[in-house]
Amino acid sequence: MTLQTLTKPWEPMSYGFLDGSAKREIRRKMIKAIAVPGCQMPYASREVPMARGWGTGGLQVSLTLVNPAMRVKVIDQGADDSVNAASIRRFIARVAGTPTTMDTLEADLIQSRHRIPEEVLREDQVLVLQVPNPEPLRPVQPNMSIARQMHADADYGRMWLQLYEQIVRSGRVMQGASYPSLVHGRHVMTPSPIPRWDVPKLHMAKHLTILSAGREKRIFAVPPYTRVEPLVFSDVPYKVEDHADLTCHRSGTRGFFMNEIPQDDGTLVFEVSDSAWGVKAIRRRDGEEVALGETWYKNGKMPS
Amino acid sequence: MSLHPVPSDFEARCNATFDAVMWALARPGVMRDLPQAGLAQVVDALIDRECAVHCPDEALAMLARRTGAELVGPEAADHVFAETVTPEMPDRLACGSDLHPEDGATLVAGAVFGTGQRLRLTGPGVDVEVIVTIGGLPGDFWQRRAGAMRYPMGFEMLLVDGARLIGVPRSTVVEVL
Repeated sequence: MTLQTLTKPWEPMSYGFLDGSAKREIRRKMIKAIAVPGCQMPYASREVPMARGWGTGGLQVSLTLVNPAMRVKVIDQGADDSVNAASIRRFIARVAGTPTTMDTLEADLIQSRHRIPEEVLREDQVLVLQVPNPEPLRPVQPNMSIARQMHADADYGRMWLQLYEQIVRSGRVMQGASYPSLVHGRHVMTPSPIPRWDVPKLHMAKHLTILSAGREKRIFAVPPYTRVEPLVFSDVPYKVEDHADLTCHRSGTRGFFMNEIPQDDGTLVFEVSDSAWGVKAIRRRDGEEVALGETWYKNGKMPS
Repeated sequence: MSLHPVPSDFEARCNATFDAVMWALARPGVMRDLPQAGLAQVVDALIDRECAVHCPDEALAMLARRTGAELVGPEAADHVFAETVTPEMPDRLACGSDLHPEDGATLVAGAVFGTGQRLRLTGPGVDVEVIVTIGGLPGDFWQRRAGAMRYPMGFEMLLVDGARLIGVPRSTVVEVL
């Protein structure tokens, strides 16, 4: 062994910003996360040039996976063009030289904050979800050591109690986003703050989902063809948001998750939340040849 | 001059290796192509000074040692690299704990695809079921694996035949046909 063999040629910066040891650590933890679906794996969560809580967890996973042939799409609450999404997309493209896209069908890697695209993801696509709070038990058990023990024991009684109390108090489950879901019949996870509308898309999906919380330093995953069942009582069925009959005022598309836009006169109009889907619908309406993918929801209903 | 970093050959290869490893474990039983033959590339992609490695093969052990990893016995190892799996190995590997399932080991082993035992795999990542034929492992390996693991405790397996890879994570139920 010589000094020469222990060194590497000089590089101005690491490809994909993260250094080798950071990538290897995330790789090792992703292996374990995929092997135990829904179980939170601790990881180091290195510094990236972005504040914690703005998608650093998702960004680290994306930077580990990217290569120059991988087409990247980044969305923030469904929109490709919001500040957070645009900044992350530009950063990945700058440090990894990846091509970018806004079209779900063209993307190999989709990093998302709080939405799953409306078009069905394929077997070769990876969805990376940014997670602010990875611990579904936090509202019922603030001590994370005890929460870990509860996960180990599959002790989810308090989760059920919380849902029961909501139904007793309010007549329905009040949990809007990050609906607690049982993965592979063993671990309860938070699916990141995606709306209830999106949770059924994870159940037996074809794509790989990786959820990463940079601030909380936890990574977990939902492999393809894995059961993801929202916690519900057998006599109180799971309900998605009542958006099936809403029409987007810009694209005219109907039966998808909508953003509510208050108007000056006190009324509301709706706009489809998945901006790339809306743009494609408008372009098709205007007579362009646009490929629209199959959607999870058909006529506002998720086929069971 | 390019305006963004270009991956070195080493970086590109590690990225491709991990891509195969990740998808192999995400879709157990579905064969993936590695960028090159052998186990050494998995060492490059995963191992560094934070790891404890068990590796009976001398050359591979040297490679792992060069990354800074500690060489330990199979019980203490978080990564085990073995060209040939020994019969008692499933009972000796670390399976983690219910509190920390991530402490379970990753076994990277040589195997022969297309001959040997016919296996039916079911579990997360498997669309209903997948049938594979894997040889080169001890006769009662799969029974011993099932006996050694209690989900979510267990170990992951990356089986390498030349430049082909099949992953069997702990969540996969293996039935010998």
